[in-house]
Amino acid sequence: MNTFYEGLAEILEVDASKLSPEFSFADANADWDSLAIVSTIALADDSFNVMLDGKALAACEKVADIEALIDAARHRNA
Amino acid sequence: MQPATATPEHGVGREARTAGARIAGVVTCVPADVRRNEDFHSRFGEDAVADVVKMIGVQTRRRAAADVTTRDLCRLAAQRLMAGLEWAPASIDALIFVSQTPDFRLPATACALQAELGIGTSCIAFDVNLGCSGYPYALWLGMTMLQTGAARRVLLAVGDTISKIVDPSDRATALLFGDCGTATALELDPDAAPAHFILGSDGLGATNLIVPTGGFRDYAASGDPRLEGRSAHSLYMDGGEIFNFTLRSVPPLVARTLALAEGRTHDFHLFHQANQFMLKHLIKKAKLPPAQAPLNIEEFGNTSSASIPLLMTTRLREPLASSRQRLAMYGFGVGYSWASASLDVGPLRVVENIEA
Repeated sequence: MNTFYEGLAEILEVDASKLSPEFSFADANADWDSLAIVSTIALADDSFNVMLDGKALAACEKVADIEALIDAARHRNA
Repeated sequence: MQPATATPEHGVGREARTAGARIAGVVTCVPADVRRNEDFHSRFGEDAVADVVKMIGVQTRRRAAADVTTRDLCRLAAQRLMAGLEWAPASIDALIFVSQTPDFRLPATACALQAELGIGTSCIAFDVNLGCSGYPYALWLGMTMLQTGAARRVLLAVGDTISKIVDPSDRATALLFGDCGTATALELDPDAAPAHFILGSDGLGATNLIVPTGGFRDYAASGDPRLEGRSAHSLYMDGGEIFNFTLRSVPPLVARTLALAEGRTHDFHLFHQANQFMLKHLIKKAKLPPAQAPLNIEEFGNTSSASIPLLMTTRLREPLASSRQRLAMYGFGVGYSWASASLDVGPLRVVENIEA
């Protein structure tokens, strides 16, 4: 998950050390906008070779929600 | 227009091969009017413009005047091309106009171009309604006509003036698209190496990139919540869906195109200039050297079906004028429709970009 966290920190414009599954976009005032969402689709594709759904990502509120989508997508691939 | 429920098996596309035809020359024509990002600050605000630009990577784009259409840009390109090649109008047997911005719902713009260019009436002329995938489709169609003997010289007029159908208040599309018309000359060449094509379609994505009203079915009245409060005559783009489509479809298209190249490597890979962020991701994913996958979206925006020939005239002019290059081309988008072409191009007697 390390390169993924680094990439995600860059997308959210926060320090990577602050990211954890419980990191909430709203609490941290991080922009979870359409740009962040498509960047995350690309990042997950790079890091895990999975395709995330934009609408499902838009509904994510914290990092754990994204990780759950990635796990589900990897399970589908397996 | 309602999407079907069953998803057919998803192949990469039909594979086709043509022989005995080559590109003789390419001329592109962009309007002289340059629109810079700063020109959009007053409408959207500087921060909003910067947010979109960070993603799409467009710094400038060209915009056609109100009384200039795709047909005009293609005509100017074709005139320069025919003059440069010393092709008499009477020697052209077929003219195919590929565009989503024709002059009229009817008649076909290709017929108007045939007359304006002084091409004789023994000419096959028709329009093809395709956008981002249009250039490889046009090459396949033109080369197939040459191979069958239906034509000895074919003119492809390919381009769009999407600025005329964007909603000026929709920053996602207003900043992205640029206008361009192109002309490509194809002719018989018994010595030409075979060209390979892959062509595919998925109409389940039809409503994700659409002008809902203006044809003969009114999709704006369908109740699709995404269209609420939008101008029905303007282009609607579901950016997230298009991004997903591209990431799903283009990497297999690239992989299969490389596999069909019979062990030969390509000198350049020309991607439809859709969106800079997406392109960089696709190029990285395909493990292509960036120097072999030129971009021009930063200068001209997304020019729809014209983006691949515009890459040839603006980024590969010297190599294509002086020598033979093995090119791979990838078009993908509205439809959904996608296609690749893999062929030898050059040395070209005429390869240039002009302004109107």
